[in-house]
Amino acid sequence: MRPSFFHHLHPPTIPAAQARWRYTLGAGGTAIFLMVVLTITGALEMFYYIPTPAEAGLSIQTITYLVPFGGLIRNLHFWAAQLLIIVSAVHLVRVVFTGAYIPPRRFNYLLGLVLFVFSILLNFTGYILRWDTGIQWALLVGTNLIKTIPFVGNYLYQILIGGTQPGSATLIRFYAWHIFGLAIITVILIGWHAFRVRRDGGIALPPPKLRANPERITRFELVRRETLAMLLTGAALIIFSIFAPAPIAAPIPLSTLQSVPESAAAPWFFLWVQQMLKWGDPFLWGILIPLIILLILALIPYIFPKPLESELGRWFPVSGRVAQITVVIIAALIILLTILGSAPTS
Amino acid sequence: MRKLLVIAAGALLLTISLAWWFSGRQPKPVELIPTLTNQPEYCISCHADVPEISKSHPVKTFGCVSCHGGERLALNADLAHSTMRGGKNPSDLSVVEASCGGSNCHSGSEAGNNDHIQRVITSIQSTYAGAIANVRFTFGAQTDMTAHFGITAITNAQTQSDITSLAAFDPASESNPSIQKFGANCLNCHINATPREGDVYARQTGCAACHATGKHTLTTAMPYTQCNSCHNRGNYDLRTMTFVERADHPTSRLQDYYQPIAQFTKCEYTLDCVDCHTRTEAMGDGNIHSNKKDIQYIQCKTCHGTPTELPLTKTLTDPNDIAFKLAFLNPVVDLRLGDTILVTEKGEPLWNTSVQPDGTYTMIGKATQQHFTFKPVMGSSCTQNGQDQSSAYCHECHSVQR
Repeated sequence: MRPSFFHHLHPPTIPAAQARWRYTLGAGGTAIFLMVVLTITGALEMFYYIPTPAEAGLSIQTITYLVPFGGLIRNLHFWAAQLLIIVSAVHLVRVVFTGAYIPPRRFNYLLGLVLFVFSILLNFTGYILRWDTGIQWALLVGTNLIKTIPFVGNYLYQILIGGTQPGSATLIRFYAWHIFGLAIITVILIGWHAFRVRRDGGIALPPPKLRANPERITRFELVRRETLAMLLTGAALIIFSIFAPAPIAAPIPLSTLQSVPESAAAPWFFLWVQQMLKWGDPFLWGILIPLIILLILALIPYIFPKPLESELGRWFPVSGRVAQITVVIIAALIILLTILGSAPTS
Repeated sequence: MRKLLVIAAGALLLTISLAWWFSGRQPKPVELIPTLTNQPEYCISCHADVPEISKSHPVKTFGCVSCHGGERLALNADLAHSTMRGGKNPSDLSVVEASCGGSNCHSGSEAGNNDHIQRVITSIQSTYAGAIANVRFTFGAQTDMTAHFGITAITNAQTQSDITSLAAFDPASESNPSIQKFGANCLNCHINATPREGDVYARQTGCAACHATGKHTLTTAMPYTQCNSCHNRGNYDLRTMTFVERADHPTSRLQDYYQPIAQFTKCEYTLDCVDCHTRTEAMGDGNIHSNKKDIQYIQCKTCHGTPTELPLTKTLTDPNDIAFKLAFLNPVVDLRLGDTILVTEKGEPLWNTSVQPDGTYTMIGKATQQHFTFKPVMGSSCTQNGQDQSSAYCHECHSVQR
């Protein structure tokens, strides 16, 4: 069989041991598939979405209830976005737990981390585009956080929301960021990230003489496995979309845009930050701590003890213990704070 | 591997057909573009069975949202209903301005005869000022019977009565326990109240209290049962300051409805309340009053006159006379220019009456369309003193035996 264009996006053969689900978890590939779903469904939504405070909520109601299959498209977009965050996180943790970030893959690790941050920012900006009463707390509290940054906070705030208080400029900026500032850049970065995977020698492997299993699979087999993952992920997305529709609420009345709703309601991936904000200083807990966590993750390939090349290609190399334990602690804290943050506040 | 792919593809196809099937089960959108708003709304996708509320509010013109609020595009019940005004009663006075108001609708000008909301909000039925003043006077909290408090604070600089404002009645700042109890138990008896829990009470506030007589109906032809849903729904116990709701379902109007000691003439239990009592009596005249007595003025003599005077009449010469508007809203009579009708002492038209060539009068029941004929007192054998012409004196001879 002659390889098609899609086959040519893959290396001719890859090692069988490292092509197994139990090693890769299929997370990186699934993330790319979810990004494809997001791009297509998002492009379809753009035909109906109107980014003005008066029309945004109504146009989403139009998409959800009146456009044929619009509700399904919107639900797919929502669920693909939520899954993308989970799958990207799994991908990141997998790379750390297998020590795959050591040179020459250090730069691509950083690219991946940037992509992870972008997927969170994309999710948050998309959430804000709903412009309904469900997102009002996160919009006001989230943007107010920026003001707390010393020296440049107010300036950044005005750049982000387009004025001294949220208004129609805010919505159009979030819209522009969502599509041009984040989505398009993300697609380009994904291309770069995938290119670097091949340039850096494919999936991380031990040196040739240390490989226990010399067997390799072809790109045809690889594409088949990817297709299987896509079919199953697609089916899961549709099931979620049918039985758990994307959240929607009444549009924010123009007159109450500036008033912070009483009950805190951050999107689920920021519940851990919402929980920390209860502890006091918003700059420390809302901005500094998340940035420090991000910095620790970024520094893993640079300052943490490096896993040995001979230990690559399997889970939990002993030489990467410090990084593994650090990521476990960070993940456990974030999960714990998320659980605390999701408990109804009295 | 190929087998797995086939199974996975089958699973995806299955979920796609499931999604197809579910989208077919959603309510089919039915669009309505009311001419007043020109904005599409989809309420009738689910509410096709709701009858048109009145001829004056055709659904093609008003739609649903201009009165009820709500999310006009949402086909999910929770979201669609989440922003409705006043729940089951958009005419509740807390939201009435948004639902029924506007200068072209019911908060217009006095000259245009569409200042309904301003009049109702200052009326004794909303302020409850008379009851509050009476109770405070009775229990020594004030020395006169003048109203100082209403249910909510209101100011009316243009008032033609002596009272330009009422403060909000606050039972907590009263020292007398009976007044406190009155505050706790009796303040839901006015149309500016927070309605009591339950669907039967939801429409006993605002415009709906009087005008909503059935399922999604607004009318000016209110039968007496509508008035009685508030004015005869039980008894006060003044010792305990409690209200005892009546449990029976009155059937005979004369025997069951009215207080045993009250006296009534035939017309008072045959006609509907609105056949005699006028719009300013019921909805207020725009002024703040201390007591029901200050606004309610229709007596027997309004229609029957006295032994020495005929009732007041008016021949309709102005096509813009309010009588024509009222007769148009409830077309039980075919009122024409040149017709002569009875009018009240304040000049309000009793537009459902007419003066006959033989000196008798007719009245058509506003709610029943029954035809009544009646005579003036003048020329009858009534020997009542000309000074004592209030209804109480008429009752001395003319009340029915029960």
